[in-house]
Amino acid sequence: MEIDPFLALADPTRRRIVEALRAGEQPVGLLVEQVGIAQSGVSRHLRILQEAGFVAARAEGQRRIYALRPEPFIELDAWLAHYRALWDERLDRFGQALLARRSQAPAPLPPKPEDPDAD
Amino acid sequence: MPTDPSRPPAAASPIVIERTWAATPRELWDLWTTKEGFASWWGPQGFRADVHTLDAVPGGLLHYDMVADSPEMISAMQAAGQPTSHPVFARWGELVPCTRLTLVNTIDFLPGVPSYESVIQVELVDHGGRTTMRVTLSPMHVPEMSRMQAEGFESQLTKLEARFAAR
Repeated sequence: MEIDPFLALADPTRRRIVEALRAGEQPVGLLVEQVGIAQSGVSRHLRILQEAGFVAARAEGQRRIYALRPEPFIELDAWLAHYRALWDERLDRFGQALLARRSQAPAPLPPKPEDPDAD
Repeated sequence: MPTDPSRPPAAASPIVIERTWAATPRELWDLWTTKEGFASWWGPQGFRADVHTLDAVPGGLLHYDMVADSPEMISAMQAAGQPTSHPVFARWGELVPCTRLTLVNTIDFLPGVPSYESVIQVELVDHGGRTTMRVTLSPMHVPEMSRMQAEGFESQLTKLEARFAAR
């Protein structure tokens, strides 16, 4: 079953696991210490993160070692950038609307020259 | 991945977008909290907002129709078998005049998705003649994005990029 990446990261415990794994791959025991819940809970969350593609596991003897996979983070970043573009465009229009209103009615303060770095 | 518009993304880090203009907080505030002001910029690209009710008090209603108003968007919506207009209902949350507001949207128009709420938080910081507006969104707060994906809005954004490049 494929899990929505945003749903996978919606849980604060899973976000703590992801944060812990940013330091590098780790066995579940070390994650339990950092995340502060029982191993069964950490294992359950790890399974969900694996199904969503954020985490990969490999066997090392009897242990399983968990690590982050970069791909879903790259996709999330691209997706957020896309949404940001929508709002950048919206705020461009916001700025244009401000100027239009100033040209229609006297501004409450004397007009000042636009700062070229304003946006 | 999450290009599937049938799923509302649930959460992650908020998106914060900030701009500063040579204007007073009151001027910015009025663009959010008056019918004419809101309609003059909300869009999004390819759409206009026909505002029916804007009652800028805590809990007050914002009701507008999001209307496709460019020939390209109208054609795209018709080709997709979508209506070229749909009503949007939102509620104002916190409203501290000229300082801070929140807008709570009920997202109930995505096919197959149970309705959920999204919040846009706006903060205005007065620098004496210049005002910074900080808009905070979180990935769960993506009504337009979901619609845009459903409606093939990618092409519109590509046009925008061209427009930005030309400036």
